[in-house]
Amino acid sequence: MSTYVFRNQTIEAFLGDDGVAYSGYGDISMVPGDVDRYIWFYQVPVNADANQLAQEITAYIDQLDLVLSGIDTAKPFIIFSLVNLFPLRLTGDEVAVDEAIAAFNSHAMRLSQQRPGVKWVDFSEFTSHYDAATLVDWKYYMMSQSLLNPKLKRDFKSWWQRIEEEMALRRMKCLVLDLDNTLWGGVLGEDGVDGIQLGGDYPGKAYSYWQRALKQLAADGVILAVCSKNNEADVQEAWEKNPAMVLKREHFSALRINWQDKATNMRELAQELNIGLDSMVFLDDNPAERELIRQMLPQVEVPEFPAKPYQLMPFFKDLVGKYFRIYAVTDEDRAKNKQYQANALRQAEQSRFTDFDDYLYSLDISIDVIPADEHNLPRIAQMTQKTNQFNLTTRRYAEDQVNRLIDSGWHICCMAVSDRFGDSGITGTIFLEPVDDITLNIDTMLLSCRILGKGIEEAFFKTVLNLMRLDGYRKLTASYLPTAKNGQTADFYDRMGMTCVSKEDDGTKHYEMMLNTVFEIKNCYNIRVL
Amino acid sequence: MNLEDRILEIMREVFEMEDVSTTASQKNCERWDSLHHLTLASEIEDSFDIDLEPEEIAEMTDFSRVVEMVKSKL
Repeated sequence: MSTYVFRNQTIEAFLGDDGVAYSGYGDISMVPGDVDRYIWFYQVPVNADANQLAQEITAYIDQLDLVLSGIDTAKPFIIFSLVNLFPLRLTGDEVAVDEAIAAFNSHAMRLSQQRPGVKWVDFSEFTSHYDAATLVDWKYYMMSQSLLNPKLKRDFKSWWQRIEEEMALRRMKCLVLDLDNTLWGGVLGEDGVDGIQLGGDYPGKAYSYWQRALKQLAADGVILAVCSKNNEADVQEAWEKNPAMVLKREHFSALRINWQDKATNMRELAQELNIGLDSMVFLDDNPAERELIRQMLPQVEVPEFPAKPYQLMPFFKDLVGKYFRIYAVTDEDRAKNKQYQANALRQAEQSRFTDFDDYLYSLDISIDVIPADEHNLPRIAQMTQKTNQFNLTTRRYAEDQVNRLIDSGWHICCMAVSDRFGDSGITGTIFLEPVDDITLNIDTMLLSCRILGKGIEEAFFKTVLNLMRLDGYRKLTASYLPTAKNGQTADFYDRMGMTCVSKEDDGTKHYEMMLNTVFEIKNCYNIRVL
Repeated sequence: MNLEDRILEIMREVFEMEDVSTTASQKNCERWDSLHHLTLASEIEDSFDIDLEPEEIAEMTDFSRVVEMVKSKL
C-alpha cells in the first residue's frame, strides 16, 4: 500500500519510508493521485509570537480543505490531530494558539464525520503518555526539523500499528450483553431487584457509568441486545422498579433471557436482527460462556471482560475503539459518497480559495533577490553543501571558492523569503557563469526544501533572468545533473520553457533558450531586487 | 559483541541494509543521508547510554569516526 504524507516537519523516523512518500515542509502544491491513501500529520510549529502562530495554525484548515478538494473522496485520508508539544505561555493568556489548535481539530473531526474517506486520529492518545521533556528533544529539533523526539520512534511505531489495525477492522453493528455481573453487580435471582449493585457508591457507581456509556453507544446507532440466563419476569421487574436502572427495555432491540445455551441464543438473535454473526460482539463476565461462543461461533467477536467494576470505563473506551469507531469505509459510507460529492461541489464554490494561485496570494509571500556579498556568502556556500532535493547540479562550493567565482565575473545572487507566518531567511541561490558577451550558463540553482511548493523557484528564476536580460544577455544554457535526491527538479528547465538539446545515458540533460522576451511572473509575490 | 560489531549492527538496522562494512561513510553509502544520520546518532546515544553534542554528531561521517567518538565517551 502506498501512502502520501502531508507534513510540516521531519517525521520520516516515525512513519518510515517503506511505500511512504512525503510532501515538502508545508507543501501542498503537489497532490499525487496514484497513491492508496493520504496522511496529514502536522506539528504545531515553534513560534514565540502567539498571534502569528495562531494565524499559521488557522491557515492549516484552509490548506487541508484545498488539498481535500483535489482528492478522490473514496480514498482514505487520515488526519492526525494537532498537539501543542511545546506550549510557550509567556503571559499565561495566549488563548489564541489553543483556540486555533482546537478549531483545526474540530474541523478535522467534523470532516471525518461528513466525508467518507476521512479518518481522524487523536494524536494526543500517544503524546499524553509522556512529559514535556521526553516529547521534545531540542538537540535533535535544532539539527533536523523534528519536534517529536526521535527516541520515541519505537513507541510511536507500536502505537501507530495498533491504530492501523483498528482502522482496518470492520465496524461491528451489535453489542450483545449479559446481565448479572455485566450490566450490574450481583445476581438478580439471588440479590433481588433492590439488592443488585447499581447506583449509589462503588461498586454500584461503576455500573451506572457503564450503563450510561452504553446508552450513548445505542444512541449513536449501535444495536444493543441481551443474552442472559435469568427469569425474564425478574429482569422486567428490575427494569421497571429499580430507580438506578439507566438501560431499560426500550434500549434493547432484541432479548434472549432464558436458560437455553448462549450459542443457540446468539444464532437466533442474528436472525431476528437480520445481521451477520460476524458483526456481533459478545460481552459476558463468565469465562465459560465466552469460551463456548468462541468455540461454537468463531465469527463473533468475544473480548475479555474486566475483572473489577472500576475497570469498566477504560474497557468501554477500548471496546469503542476496537469495534465501534467509524474508521473503515463501510457500505453506508459508500452510499453517503454520492450525496457528499454533491455537497462538496457546492462547498467548493463557497470555499475561501477558488484555486491554488488564490491560496498563494493569501500567503503574502515576499521574495528579496540579493546579490552575493560578505554577509550572505557563508550562507550561500553552506546551501551548496547541504541542499540535495531542489538542486539542479548539486555542485558543492566552499566560501573562498564562491568568492573567486564572483571575482572572475560570475553573477551570483541569493534570495530571502518571508510570508505572513514568518521569515524563512536566505533559502535559495543561483550561480550564473558568463560564457561570452551575450551567453550565460546556469552553474548552480538551488532552493531549500523549507520553501518549496509555492512556486517561489519559478519567480526567483524568472526575476533573476529578467535582470540578466536587462544587462544585455540574450542566450541561456543550463544542465540538469541527476542524483538520488533531486528527481523533483528533472523537468524544472522544461517547465521554464527551455529546450532540451541533448540527453546523456545517466539522465543528464542540457538545455538552451534565447532571452528574447521578458518572463512573466505571477503577481502572487512581492518581489524586491536589492 | 565488541563495540565495533555493536555499532555495525546498529548501522545495519538504521540503514535497513543487509551488510554494512567498516569502510562505510556518508560519501560511499547512499542510505547514510542526513536523515538516517540523525537516527543513527540517536540510536547510538540510546544503545551506549551516552550524550553526543550536535558538533560531535556532525563529525561522525564514517564508521571509524563513529567508533572513535563512542570510545571517547565511554
